[in-house]
Amino acid sequence: MSSPIMPGQKTTIEYNDRIVRMFLLATVIWGAVGMLVGVIVAAQLNFWQLNFSQAFLTFGRLRPLHTNAVIFAFVGNMMFAGVYYSTQRLVKARLASDFLSNLHFWGWQLIIVAAAITLPLGLTRGKEYAELIWPINIAVVLIWVVFAVNFFWTLARRREPALYVALWFYIATIVTVAMLYIVNHLSIPTSLLHSYPVFSGVQDALVQWWYGHNAVAFFLTTPILGIMYYFLPKAAERPVYSYRLSVVHFWSLVFVYIWAGPHHLLNTALPGWLQNLGMTFSLMLWAPSWGGMLNGLLTLRGAWHKLRTDPVLKFFAAAVTFYGMSTFEGPLLAIKSVNALAHYTDWIIGHVHAGTLGWNGFMAAGMIYWLLPRLWNKPLHSTGLANLHFWIGTVGILLYVAAMWTSGITQGLMLSATTEHGTVLVYPNFLDTLITIRPMLLMRLIGGGLYLTGWILLVYNVVRTLRGALPVNGTIEVYDEAPAPDSRLGLGAMFAGAPTVFSLLAVGFGTMWMLGTDLVSTLGLAGAVACLIAGYALIPSRGRKWAGWYEKLLLNALPFTLLTFFAVVAGGLIQIIPTVLVQRAQNVEDRIQVPYTPLELAGRDLYIREGCYLCHSQMIRTLVPDVLRYGDYSRLGESIYDHPFQWGSKRSGPDLAREGGKYPNIWHLRHMEDPRSISAGSIMPNYPWLLAHPLDASTLPAKIKVQRLLGVPYGPLSAQQIFDQVDEQAKGIARDLRAAGGYVAQDREIIALIAYLQKLGKSVPVPPKAAALP
Amino acid sequence: MTPMRESNPPPETDKLRPHSFDGIQEYDKRLPNWWLVTLYATIIFWVGYWFYYERAHLGPSNTAAVEQQLAVIEAARLAAAPSLDDASLWKMSRNPVFVDAGRATFETICASCHTKELTGAIGPNLVDRLWIHGGRPMEIYATVTNGVLVKGMPSWGPVLGPKKVSEAVAYILSHHHEGEPIEVQAAWVPPPPK
Repeated sequence: MSSPIMPGQKTTIEYNDRIVRMFLLATVIWGAVGMLVGVIVAAQLNFWQLNFSQAFLTFGRLRPLHTNAVIFAFVGNMMFAGVYYSTQRLVKARLASDFLSNLHFWGWQLIIVAAAITLPLGLTRGKEYAELIWPINIAVVLIWVVFAVNFFWTLARRREPALYVALWFYIATIVTVAMLYIVNHLSIPTSLLHSYPVFSGVQDALVQWWYGHNAVAFFLTTPILGIMYYFLPKAAERPVYSYRLSVVHFWSLVFVYIWAGPHHLLNTALPGWLQNLGMTFSLMLWAPSWGGMLNGLLTLRGAWHKLRTDPVLKFFAAAVTFYGMSTFEGPLLAIKSVNALAHYTDWIIGHVHAGTLGWNGFMAAGMIYWLLPRLWNKPLHSTGLANLHFWIGTVGILLYVAAMWTSGITQGLMLSATTEHGTVLVYPNFLDTLITIRPMLLMRLIGGGLYLTGWILLVYNVVRTLRGALPVNGTIEVYDEAPAPDSRLGLGAMFAGAPTVFSLLAVGFGTMWMLGTDLVSTLGLAGAVACLIAGYALIPSRGRKWAGWYEKLLLNALPFTLLTFFAVVAGGLIQIIPTVLVQRAQNVEDRIQVPYTPLELAGRDLYIREGCYLCHSQMIRTLVPDVLRYGDYSRLGESIYDHPFQWGSKRSGPDLAREGGKYPNIWHLRHMEDPRSISAGSIMPNYPWLLAHPLDASTLPAKIKVQRLLGVPYGPLSAQQIFDQVDEQAKGIARDLRAAGGYVAQDREIIALIAYLQKLGKSVPVPPKAAALP
Repeated sequence: MTPMRESNPPPETDKLRPHSFDGIQEYDKRLPNWWLVTLYATIIFWVGYWFYYERAHLGPSNTAAVEQQLAVIEAARLAAAPSLDDASLWKMSRNPVFVDAGRATFETICASCHTKELTGAIGPNLVDRLWIHGGRPMEIYATVTNGVLVKGMPSWGPVLGPKKVSEAVAYILSHHHEGEPIEVQAAWVPPPPK
């Protein structure tokens, strides 16, 4: 502390570092588990035999386990360890409540265990990174609230008046993740283990990727940026490069990130204005993201020579570099024409892993190596091993990412290659493209394996360091000062401050210009230009005063948190509310989906249970190669009753939006039993249990009741009527299969799945309606 | 990054902010110009792009663009459609260039249901004299192009285009002889699976 020591009562505070140690060890363990599952699913894509024809071991069930484990278990625990360690020191106060800290830790681990049990059992909501079933969702929200209370309560008891930049990022994380998680998990239960999301079709797609994209932003990025702002200058023993860059990039990042979600839905049936918002805001995200990279890398000025010997700084420098690389790649991929090639391919997988392996994984490793000696008061067992971890990990990432780039671009080009004056596909068989990229999939497995090997070295290093070490808690001596005159910014001054007013006006006018009709739009344009000129003109005279206003804002957590919330809520409101408020009928262009029969609905739930959406999309984009390959492009109305939507995000197999009626029932039976009997070279798992297990139709009345509640036009069906309909349709399919030589009892799950697959793409024309929105 | 060579601390002219947090201090360096230019450029791009597509509607929407491209493709297909008849398909079926090209297409696309030997599995046998939807060359051509959706035969015309379809038909016909008897079969009964 640089301020002069005031006379007062001296007390010694002991930080709660026990909780940090617990979260740290959980990070080490879950990291190993999550990465191991990642290597397993990568191996399954190379060797289909590794699915073992066992339901709970198939790719479709293990892939969500991998993603949930590395995001919520690995990075989650790492974030909590880093936040709790740094926050206590940045505010000079012990964590507010030992009870809440422990509840947070054990609650979170329990959630992880529950996820690890339910996902392989096929209990899922069918939305990426939001797969966990509703009772676990409630637990996640409760534990997140525990985290928030513990954190803000600690802030309230702080002895350090001003909030350091790391804390800004933590605040943004806590507020935004709560908002995203709750909205995307709104569901109506049909049983203790199953629910349907309240949104459907395009609304569900928009909400899902508003959440999915910002899970990357506010779970994998902002908390780790906060951790970077604490641990990197600590490890480098250098001052942070630029405070004002922190201010500018923090606010621009949290404001712009939220708008970019629709870039996951480019060239789909999503309304064009949302696609254009998603693309342009993704481009605007480039500089704010690089602000974080710059502040990280330039903080290392004067410390670069330490990289030669210090593995911690090596990890941090590489992590920040990978962050810069993937946040350049992100906006690039969000350009519609680039996205047309790359979307649904391995390029996206490569992009994600550059961020997760490079940025998250290396930040975690650097933080762990830095914290170990400090939390256990013993030098790291082996710096050499840590250096080896760094090099093996780096080679692993580079192999992984290069393989996925090559694979994604190759497959993207092959899928869109046309011949005979652009009228015919060069590779009409999807499998040709898959077989071509197989060597790259193997390369990815090797890269991922190397990365896991590096992590195992870390685990070994941790175990050896901990052997015989005694945990030690940090302490600090503080002087209870007489309260200083309150110079904090109150709520009123926050709202009335020129920066707040200018920001609100600019966003308001900008939105009017973008989305308003003629007069409103013109007014918006005039207002936005006036804001710009006024702001520019006032900065020379008022800039210093505004900087002072901001410094006062940093003294008061509540107005700061509220402002952060306003910044993150704007984009979501402007995108989601119009889409949700518009009547369903007005979202429909020229076709509307035929609702599923009870048997088809049961089949759809099996499709979701088996995680088919992880490899098969149901969205034919407004792109010629898609239309040539899969048929007429998908319309909004064609998934309007889909709770949840199943547009998908990756095509390891072909699109299924118009699969219905394309092949006979017997084709699907043989194909689900053994895909290679139909498609030589396929990497799809066998699904023999679908032919063996009887369908549980008893849940259908409850499910259809919820579907009706959500607005799907089912008549008032009694349970008996539902069962009769199921029986009748199943009997027809079984009869058709028998005629073709396929002998399956009509009560088997496969019958329902075939019924669903044969329904895909069935719609009826509707008279065109004028769209209500731009 | 230039700092790679720099192992000395930055110049003393870099002013530190007065406060430190747990020993962490902060400079207050100016934002790099290239960074600001990037930020402003992307904002200007957003304004221009939004104006072009959403306010002035100068560019086509996604659906308008794809419809237009598909119309061009359809026109090209119509213009290039080969004038086929039974006689020319028979002739193609005796030409090794066509037959070899047709075999390649057949084995990647058709063989999954009709088998590489053309003896049928999920789809019917194509080397016997029994035909469900007609066995004359142009009838086979129509079946492949348009499909028979109720029987589970996909329509391959849009995916393969007329040239590849005619080659595949030539390959099938290469297993037959002009003038051989054609019998009509109601439906295909697949052999029991091995």
